[in-house]
Amino acid sequence: MSSRHFVVAVTNANTLLPASWSPALSFVDRITATALGEQGSTANPVAQAVAAYTYCAGVETGYGFFAPRPSTVRKLVFEIEYSDGRVQYELPHVGDAATGLRLSLLFDSLVRIPYPDLRKTMLKMMAFSVWREHRDATTIRAVFGLVQLPTIAEFKRGKKESYSVLYAYDFTFAPSGATNP
Amino acid sequence: MRSRLHGFLAPLFPAEDDGWLTILRVGLGLQVTAYTLSARADWHELYSSSGQGLINRELSEAFLDVQSPLAPRLGWLVSIGKHVCLSEQAVLWLAWACLLGAGILTVLGCFSRLSAVVAWFLHLSAVKSEQFLSYGMDNFTTIGLFYLMLSPLPDKYSFDGILRGKASKRGSLLGFYRRILQIHLCFIYFFSGIAKCTGAEWWNGTAMWQIFTSPPFNLVSPNVVASSAYLLPLLGIGICLLEIGYPVFIWPKITRKIWLSCIVGMHLIVALTMGLYLFSFIMIVLNSAGFAPIPDSAKVKDIFGRAFS
Repeated sequence: MSSRHFVVAVTNANTLLPASWSPALSFVDRITATALGEQGSTANPVAQAVAAYTYCAGVETGYGFFAPRPSTVRKLVFEIEYSDGRVQYELPHVGDAATGLRLSLLFDSLVRIPYPDLRKTMLKMMAFSVWREHRDATTIRAVFGLVQLPTIAEFKRGKKESYSVLYAYDFTFAPSGATNP
Repeated sequence: MRSRLHGFLAPLFPAEDDGWLTILRVGLGLQVTAYTLSARADWHELYSSSGQGLINRELSEAFLDVQSPLAPRLGWLVSIGKHVCLSEQAVLWLAWACLLGAGILTVLGCFSRLSAVVAWFLHLSAVKSEQFLSYGMDNFTTIGLFYLMLSPLPDKYSFDGILRGKASKRGSLLGFYRRILQIHLCFIYFFSGIAKCTGAEWWNGTAMWQIFTSPPFNLVSPNVVASSAYLLPLLGIGICLLEIGYPVFIWPKITRKIWLSCIVGMHLIVALTMGLYLFSFIMIVLNSAGFAPIPDSAKVKDIFGRAFS
């Protein structure tokens, strides 16, 4: 499993390995995927047994932490609009720093999701948790973006971090009887 | 033929004392307890499905269903709870309390096997029910708990071992489980190291700069990091070498202490500079259980005897 994830990470990323290695890496990827039962149907009992074992043993993923490079930083900001024209900004908040750390992983997951509708639904769920504390808000806009950190040379020249928007969605929630989307 | 096979398998079954199992049990018990306490404030927010959750648990579990329908999840417990008229909220808090209890009992070594199995199941269920929010620390805790519940428990320093005289004496079996953990750690560090080596950022210090300055890991002021910029490439290359060299240098007695100290030091730095306390703790526990020199039990008794006399 660790070799599979290493191969996938290296194949998909721009690394120091020469491009001529890609076919060989893809071949290794196919072999390891077959060995793990990932090539056939997910209904295959062997594939299901292998998947269940890997999940139960905690080995369903590889070990490339911050590799081949640290992931890009993402940020989610909620723009809360009220009927009187006021606008308030809020970041997603949780009760404990340990959970706060996990939010950055959630943002990574959001980017990797290949279905825009699912991504929108997940952002709507988070917007809903904000709306519960601001029930008089008319619209909650979820703005999800990239944080571009300065390089060390740019930082020394005084450059600050900048942001670029990836997705923005407007959500409205009924004032009564609303449930989680 | 049989003697050849025996010779081939012998390194997998070295005779071992159960001191390493004590380290693993106490460490994992503390890890589970700390994880449960740190998740208390957000437990309901994380795992509830009806209008309270940050990301709906049912959505996360539907994703899990596609990947592995047999992987444990809190939804199973909620379904069972419905049959006995327990609300979702009650089941979630019961699961939290049981996980905390299992963590504490694991530290004490009380009902060692049962508490290890309960801790593994509930921790895994919680992690998989919010898999969008899980990271390496959760996987390593699962790995550790999986080994712990299969190991020849109880160890002689556990409550079961001391008061009920149930300590396991199967030295070669103890050695086998420790060997598997050791081999697994070698895989972990080797693949982590080799993946880092393929990124140019690890060779020129850019990766270290990005890690130290990226929220939420930016506990150290960027001014401090920038002022020691010349150290960053050395740090990046050092980490790559430390991880790639792990499967080679952790085995010989002459280099084991050095490599283990460096790895533990690296995880301590990660904890202090990036705030990844639980991640660092579980890695130190697994490394200590796997490779730390275990003092002879007679020596330990002697030290304790002198201390209390």
